[in-house]
Amino acid sequence: MELEEKKKMAYRIGDTVLILLVALTAGEYFIGKYAPYWWAPLLAIALLKAFFVVRDFMHIGRLFAGEEEEVH
Amino acid sequence: MSTSTATLADYRRRTYTNRLGLWLFIFSDAFVFAGLFVSRFYLYGANFRPELSQEVGLLVTAVLGLSSYFAYRGDVAMRFGDTKAYFRNTMITMVLGVLFLIGVVGVEWQIAPHGPDESALWSLFYTMTGFHAFHVLTGVLFLGIVYRNARKGIYDAERHWPVEAAAIYWHFIDVVWFFFYAALYLIGVPPL
Repeated sequence: MELEEKKKMAYRIGDTVLILLVALTAGEYFIGKYAPYWWAPLLAIALLKAFFVVRDFMHIGRLFAGEEEEVH
Repeated sequence: MSTSTATLADYRRRTYTNRLGLWLFIFSDAFVFAGLFVSRFYLYGANFRPELSQEVGLLVTAVLGLSSYFAYRGDVAMRFGDTKAYFRNTMITMVLGVLFLIGVVGVEWQIAPHGPDESALWSLFYTMTGFHAFHVLTGVLFLGIVYRNARKGIYDAERHWPVEAAAIYWHFIDVVWFFFYAALYLIGVPPL
């Protein structure tokens, strides 16, 4: 894949995660407002948000890449 | 093998070790945050939460989430050698980080109905938000130091581990807040 293409793809991943975070945060806000006793869905949403950030923003997968592997 | 290739391979090897070290630190730090998170449920249960403004909570959460997005864009920019975009995105990240601090310490702490010395519950609220805010402060400083070094031109598309490390640390602070936000602002109702 061309470098420019990879760059666009990386930015696109960021945009997608942002949209997901906005949607999930809005969802949990309304659950917290109108159904505050639903602790399990609220924790599940927090976990889901954490999953996307850890996987896509923090690149946890790089931990399992080879020592000299490129990370683009 | 040329000298520059050998050096780059060495740099990548070191970066791999550094990355392991950073994640080890993050996991250790996460246990402290997890302890505070569990304490909140021990003291309040799942039916009650502190009397806090959910709107302020949503606002500071949005600010911190957005800052994470810009930190990611800064990291990507540096990874592809676009230093101008790195500077722009990192500056936005730091400004949003400071706004988050103002939102929590300058607004939320001031309008909170109780002080840290009034009960174990409120003491825990200030400990959770204070400990997290201190991480935000150190994150801003970390980003600032790396930003300053980048201005000197010491990072490029191939060698920029400190840029990546600062971004990962920043995202970690964001991830912690996801759980604290739910625990302090969303789960349960304020006691009567």
